[in-house]
Amino acid sequence: QQDSVGVGGGWDENRYVQPGLEARTPSAEPINPDDVPIMIPHDDQLRGRISIPDDRLGVLVQPDGRVWRSFRIQGLFWIATAAIGITVLALGAFFLWRGRIRIEAGRSGRWVPRFNWVERFTHWLTAVSFLALALTGLVITFGRYLLIPLMGHYSFNTLAEASKVVHNAAGAPFIIGIVLMAGLWVRDNIPNRTDLIWLKKAGGMFSGPGTPHPEAERFNAGQKIIFWVVILGGLAVSVTGLALLLPFFVSGITGMQIAHALHGVIAALLIAVIIAHIYLGTLGMEGAFDAMGRGEVDENWAKEHHSGWYDTEFGSRRPSSPPAAAPESPQRSGAGMR
Amino acid sequence: MLIKRTTATAARSGLVARMASQAGGGKGVTRRSFLQQSGLAAGGLAGLGALPGRFVRRAEAAPIRADIPKELRKNICTHCSVGCTVVAEVQNGVWVQQEPGWESPISQGTHCAKGASVRELVKGERRVKYPLKLVNGEWTRISWDQAIEEIGDKLLEIRNTYGPDSVFWLGSAKFSNESAYLMRKFAAFWGTNNIDHQARICHSTTVAGVANTWGYGAMTNSFNDIQNAQSLLIIGANPAEAHPVAMQHMLRAKEHNRAPWIVIDPRFTRTAAHATQYVRIRPGTDIPVVWGILWHIFENGWEDREFIAQRVYGMEAIRAEVARWTPEEVERISGVPGAQLFEVARAIAHNKPGTLIWCMGATQKSVGTANVRAFSILQLALGNIGVEGGGANIYRGHCNVQGATDMGLDVSTLPSYYGLDEGAWRHFARVWDVDYDDLVARFGTEGMSPDERRALMEAKGIPTTRWFDGAAADRETVDQPNPIRGMFVMGHGGNTVTRMPDMLEGLANLDLLVVVDAHPTTFAAVQQRRDNSYILPACTQFEQDGSRACSNRSLQWGQKVVEPIFESKNDREILYRLADKLGFADDLCRHIQVVDNEPLAEDILREINRGCISTGYTGQSPERLKLHMRYQHTFDKISMRATEGPLAGDYYGLPWPCWGHPEWQHPGSPTLYDTSKHVMEGGSTFRARFGIERDGETLLAEGSYSLGSEIEDGYPEFTMAVLRTLGWDAELTPEELAVIEAIGGDNVDDVSWAADLSFGIMRVAISHGCLPYGNAKARAVAWNLPDPVPVHREPVYTPRPDLAADYPAIEDMRDFRLPLLNRSVQQAAIDARVSEDFPFVYTSGRLVEYEGGGEETRSNSWLAELQQTMFAEINVQDAARLGIADGDQVWIVGPEGGRSRMAALVTERVGPGVVFLPFHFSGYWEGESLRRFYPAGADPIVLGEPANVVTTYGYDPMTLMQETKATLVRVEKA
Amino acid sequence: MARMTFLCDSERCIECNACVTACKNEHEVPWGINRRRVVTLQDGQPGERSISMACMHCTDAPCAAVCPVDCFYPTAEGVVLHSKDICIGCGYCFYACPFGAPQFPRVTNFGGRGKMDKCTYCAGGPEQDNSEEEYIKYGTNRLAEGKLPLCAEMCSTRSLMAGDQDILVEIYKERVVRRGYGSGAWGWSVAYGRSQRDTYAPHVRFDERGDA
Ligand SMILES: Nc1nc2c(c(=O)[nH]1)N[C@H]1C(S)=C(S)[C@@H](COP(=O)(O)OP(=O)(O)OC[C@H]3O[C@@H](n4cnc5c(=O)[nH]c(N)nc54)[C@H](O)[C@@H]3O)O[C@H]1N2
Ligand SMILES: Nc1nc2c(c(=O)[nH]1)N[C@H]1C(S)=C(S)[C@@H](COP(=O)(O)OP(=O)(O)OC[C@H]3O[C@@H](n4cnc5c(=O)[nH]c(N)nc54)[C@H](O)[C@@H]3O)O[C@H]1N2
Ligand code: HEM
Ligand code: HEM
Ligand code: SF4
Ligand code: SF4
Ligand code: SF4
Ligand code: SF4
Ligand code: SF4
Ligand SMILES: [Mo]
Repeated sequence: QQDSVGVGGGWDENRYVQPGLEARTPSAEPINPDDVPIMIPHDDQLRGRISIPDDRLGVLVQPDGRVWRSFRIQGLFWIATAAIGITVLALGAFFLWRGRIRIEAGRSGRWVPRFNWVERFTHWLTAVSFLALALTGLVITFGRYLLIPLMGHYSFNTLAEASKVVHNAAGAPFIIGIVLMAGLWVRDNIPNRTDLIWLKKAGGMFSGPGTPHPEAERFNAGQKIIFWVVILGGLAVSVTGLALLLPFFVSGITGMQIAHALHGVIAALLIAVIIAHIYLGTLGMEGAFDAMGRGEVDENWAKEHHSGWYDTEFGSRRPSSPPAAAPESPQRSGAGMR
Repeated sequence: MLIKRTTATAARSGLVARMASQAGGGKGVTRRSFLQQSGLAAGGLAGLGALPGRFVRRAEAAPIRADIPKELRKNICTHCSVGCTVVAEVQNGVWVQQEPGWESPISQGTHCAKGASVRELVKGERRVKYPLKLVNGEWTRISWDQAIEEIGDKLLEIRNTYGPDSVFWLGSAKFSNESAYLMRKFAAFWGTNNIDHQARICHSTTVAGVANTWGYGAMTNSFNDIQNAQSLLIIGANPAEAHPVAMQHMLRAKEHNRAPWIVIDPRFTRTAAHATQYVRIRPGTDIPVVWGILWHIFENGWEDREFIAQRVYGMEAIRAEVARWTPEEVERISGVPGAQLFEVARAIAHNKPGTLIWCMGATQKSVGTANVRAFSILQLALGNIGVEGGGANIYRGHCNVQGATDMGLDVSTLPSYYGLDEGAWRHFARVWDVDYDDLVARFGTEGMSPDERRALMEAKGIPTTRWFDGAAADRETVDQPNPIRGMFVMGHGGNTVTRMPDMLEGLANLDLLVVVDAHPTTFAAVQQRRDNSYILPACTQFEQDGSRACSNRSLQWGQKVVEPIFESKNDREILYRLADKLGFADDLCRHIQVVDNEPLAEDILREINRGCISTGYTGQSPERLKLHMRYQHTFDKISMRATEGPLAGDYYGLPWPCWGHPEWQHPGSPTLYDTSKHVMEGGSTFRARFGIERDGETLLAEGSYSLGSEIEDGYPEFTMAVLRTLGWDAELTPEELAVIEAIGGDNVDDVSWAADLSFGIMRVAISHGCLPYGNAKARAVAWNLPDPVPVHREPVYTPRPDLAADYPAIEDMRDFRLPLLNRSVQQAAIDARVSEDFPFVYTSGRLVEYEGGGEETRSNSWLAELQQTMFAEINVQDAARLGIADGDQVWIVGPEGGRSRMAALVTERVGPGVVFLPFHFSGYWEGESLRRFYPAGADPIVLGEPANVVTTYGYDPMTLMQETKATLVRVEKA
Repeated sequence: MARMTFLCDSERCIECNACVTACKNEHEVPWGINRRRVVTLQDGQPGERSISMACMHCTDAPCAAVCPVDCFYPTAEGVVLHSKDICIGCGYCFYACPFGAPQFPRVTNFGGRGKMDKCTYCAGGPEQDNSEEEYIKYGTNRLAEGKLPLCAEMCSTRSLMAGDQDILVEIYKERVVRRGYGSGAWGWSVAYGRSQRDTYAPHVRFDERGDA
């Protein structure tokens, strides 16, 4: 076999082989062509020296790209699908079971101020930028599977480009929003004992109408959770998002992959949580939207949902009084649900 | 709407089909045999690529503009001496694409980073675009006419006031042979020997050492022939970076022959990475190491006794010197363990023929000549000279440093190594068809007698390594009428000579500085000058025709690819215009046709063919060379011999010596001193240049002669007297005899073959199978050199002052019109305990991406991107000790006051105590950028601190080679 | 059908960077974009080796799998190409690519990183072969001219080879048998070797889509 390919003689077995240089010294043993290694296995990142002053180029092989790939097209895809899907399904089920949560005592017709304009501005700044981020982000995550078959590559390219621009731009207001939000509301969101009780009763959400809501202060435990999820999760997507925005400023390829993975997963979970929040803020609960819409809430709503807050803020000044009018009967609404 | 991709064009399916058929073993080419061919002849896909490559050239493929036809032009790479073929595709006069030069036997389609990017040179984003004059510190545009007028006037003024020796002319190893020859001739008519070029700082010591050993100062074999080597010994060369394409031949030798690959170098280089044995030495201790190897060879009787007896003079004296170099002593001096050298000796003794490759690690030393002589002697002892697969394979530097050296662009000789004595001048006076006495009158100053003028005419000039010592009049007395006052630099960087602080002082003293270059060079960014400086835009070699000699002595004709860009002009035209202004244009081009002020390259080469007899530059007519380029594909890729076609039998590029007139059809000499071939087949013997005998011992070969020689023994070089003794003079034709008699006058007997413009003596000698230059022994002892037997001498700035007593620098002397003070400087440094304050050994060298001073390559964005910062390699241990991290800024401080700031590259490449700097950077001075001093738009992309800011005094006594590879420095964290 | 691949014989590569500048020259690749690069492992120590790396034109290419706009398409010869008209410069291909092949004109994501550029195997892009538009966007299309990638054709030591995978393997084996050493081709196991757990088969293959 060897004769047929080489003119070189074998390497003399007595020849000196300098330690360290064996790899490029011919072996004395003839090599069978079938034993010639072709594929060097590598499982770890391989990094070497390169004269171009660009760190990324020094990475010769990063098999982790495979891991990231699998995360991106499988992990993230399914996590996002599951998180968002389960939330939507759960809310749908909840709505079917519970229906809209009414103001049990009916609207009092008296408004108590809940969020001033600064608070409302902050909320909507955050909310609008978040929605922009989420929708454009989802275009990136799901567009290839959902939209390209519908609109074709070139139109989708336009949408994707636009999404990217919007996503990049919306980050800034979002960050400002959560920072303001944290400043405004962090005091009211420090967890305390009442939250425990509230949580034990699951906010009374599953107790059906009629049962009094557990006592809550300005924000109940559920809202506090949303708050903290938004603040901490928002911080996390912001930080990871910025890392993605300024690639390789803070880390190498591995860091970028981790940043992306965190960004994607946290964003997906956030989206799921916020879908629930939006549900409650609109469809799910009567009177809730007013808090962010007009900044005032119906007195009865306040008493029912945030009695602690209502008592400390207004209780001393304004004695509670029965509703002036009860537009809808609690029974009916409750019956409807059953 | 997406244009649907055409899945397979005709050409593509052609490629695929072809590959499939090769792979499938059909149509006569079996897969196995195809693979063997591709593995053997081209080591890979050359064969595969070559076929479709040629196949499509006929098809009308045009990637740039499909509608415009492309023209192919062939030139060679302008960077190193490997001489890779460059194939240019030209559209509308614009060089749009570069294709592999598959057919070149040398490069076989390949390049290194530099060659693969030469097209950028004629895009010329950073080129000098028009003549510039420094007016009060500002580079100002002027016209060519104004430039020639002003420069000429200034030159004449210097000449009239101080004499012609006060202008220093610096030519280029990038010149074509024709430009180099023309410039040497120009200097002769101007009246000075102060004319030099890069060979001085490159292989001058090789040329001197090797020529003094066996006759010619050149690489003996070829890159291709290394494929026949059974072992490779590489000392002080890093071809992986400096001659990358040569590496393909070397790697094939290693792979096909399982040849041991030994690298002796202070650095673990990219070349060493391919070694089977790597020997790390202290810079400057090559002679101990080589003698240490030879010690083992003699000790074990591995020398080639028959070869030595027949063809080597003085080996006994070597034995005596080598006997001192026991393994212990070698280790004490060089740090190399004796056992390791035993293995080296065994490997090369048992794997013959073996090639010995050296380059700057050997030559750039105050013992450079002795180094290369020791290397040569090692090969002689092994009988490795004059055989295929053996040889002293001296990798030369620039693309035409071999040719420019051959053309005598040098302070110590006229073209073709005739020297400077009266005979040489008279020979060239005949070749140039001018009166000898007229030439004499051009030298010296007013009022000198002809004898005084002749003395200057025959005195070696001031070399480029020390022109600034010659310009600083008050420093030393110069042995010429006046110090240097003007400098005219064509194609030479300014950061490549040692002692840059002193050089800048020299520059400040000049009344005139002219730089003729495609790039501004370091000379242009000198803060010290504000006036009387000019930059003239020169063409690159891709904008002109001409021949170049690559390292293996093959001549290649480069075809003009595009017309000169911007206002640049070629060197021949510039020299002619200036000669015209100075008043000797007619003498300069008496037998050379001048078209539009441009002396034709072809005509110059024909004059070279007439006069450069001694090196056999006579057979390579422009017509033959052009045919060689056209029929490149007919040459065998290992032997370099054409196997078919109109050139069958020729060796590629007619490697000199190529005897006789072109019509003789001498094939060129692929391997020097190879006696196994007939002289008309390229065979040869050692050259008889040093007489017939010495101290009763014969200097002529004994029982060795080239194939078919009628004299079956040694013989002296042929003169009329020798012809008469042999009775062969009758064979001269009457015409030949007439020429010889005209030359000889009263002493016809003295006319030698080399002076015989009729070529008659040569013809007769060759017709009897004899080498016209004789058949001698190589000289292991060269009694005319400062060290007849090479001896170790510590570098002038030695890290081991304790050794200087035993191995001191050479004694002070005067030569090249200047004092040479190696010993005094060494002693002073020792007395001042310099090695304590400067504990690192400094060495320097190359990066593959950059060439020489680097101005040209640092202006090329494709190359510049790859090396953006100047750095110093520092060993990991040293760096840890000094608290230096990779990438930190450091100051490198030299013992003569130079300081330069750069990044640290912390690496195991260098051993502890050694610092390596690449020398391609410039444009910074002591930490400060000089970008603003460059002409606008012509500043290189990458600037950096020059390595020669810190280099020091120290010169080889034979050639004044500078010591760029062994001095001392200190490393300070910045 | 030939399967085009690269093989860098690291026993021969000398880090001369010819492959790198050849590529720059051939396609006028701008500063900062490195379609090909050479990395040296164990620099300066015994065992040092340099490897020239560009897009490996992977089997089941990760870049193609993750691209959110699905702009990659494999040619019949296994060359992985992409459309710059469709690319949005998100950089995902770079995160997925095991060889760092995709390159971007700008570092920052603000306003986008510009269209991704990578080694085309000297085979251009979706435009008409050897049209001016193709040249401007992707460089020359040597494959369509019947030539192989210039980087491999110009490699100083014939270390870098390009061509049909089977032929490359044969040549490599022959070299190793003859010379008696050789450790294999870097990246091959990752590019062509393993069966992919995360195989993603595009719903519609780009090159089969008329409209897209
Ligand atoms: N890329 C590139 N290629 C070039 C050139 C270029 O500028 N750039 N220039 C061309 C020219 S002009 C030339 S002359 C050649 C030069 O080519 P080379 O001589 O091969 O290159 P260098 O890097 O100068 O030096 C070679 C080696 O000498 C080693 N060395 C230093 N001191 C000593 C010593 O004392 N003893 C020994 N044994 N070795 C020592 C260095 O470590 C270095 O590795 O390259 C040519 N090719
Ligand atoms: N410290 C240190 N110093 C060294 C060395 C070292 O190893 N260490 N090496 C030394 C060696 S070996 C050498 S050879 C020198 C090299 O040193 P230089 O010769 O100074 O270097 P280059 O930059 O190659 O200079 C060539 C110049 O010619 C110009 N040119 C190119 N083609 C043409 C042409 O056709 N006509 C004209 N007129 N000009 C042209 C180019 O633009 C370039 O500016 O450096 C030496 N200096
Ligand atoms: C468009 C959809 C949205 C609607 C209709 C909506 C509505 C509301 C309402 C009504 C409240 C006040 C609840 C109360 O009075 O206690 C509220 C509070 C809040 N919203 Fe939203 N919101 C929306 C989107 C978002 C988004 C996108 C975010 C964050 C990313 C967000 C974060 C918050 C936070 C942190 C609070 C305070 C805590 C809480 O009440 O849960 N909202 N939102
Ligand atoms: C400061 C805030 C944010 C910044 C700077 C930011 C930035 C980025 C960037 C640079 C990307 C890469 C994608 C591309 O360039 O096309 C990205 C992806 C994405 N972002 Fe954000 N983002 C931010 C907040 C959010 C938020 C709040 C969400 C949603 C809740 C979100 C959801 C996503 C999603 C879903 C992706 C796509 C991930 C994928 O499919 O791989 N981002 N973001
Ligand atoms: S620099 Fe030398 S090796 Fe590189 S391409 Fe030019 S001639 Fe060939
Ligand atoms: S090397 Fe990278 S860019 Fe190329 S095909 Fe593979 S994954 Fe894609
Ligand atoms: S950068 Fe372009 S090619 Fe790469 S994944 Fe993003 S859209 Fe696709
Ligand atoms: S194949 Fe072509 S595009 Fe790819 S790296 Fe090589 S030269 Fe560049
Ligand atoms: S051209 Fe060849 S030898 Fe040079 S760096 Fe590229 S792969 Fe290595
Ligand atoms: Mo040189």
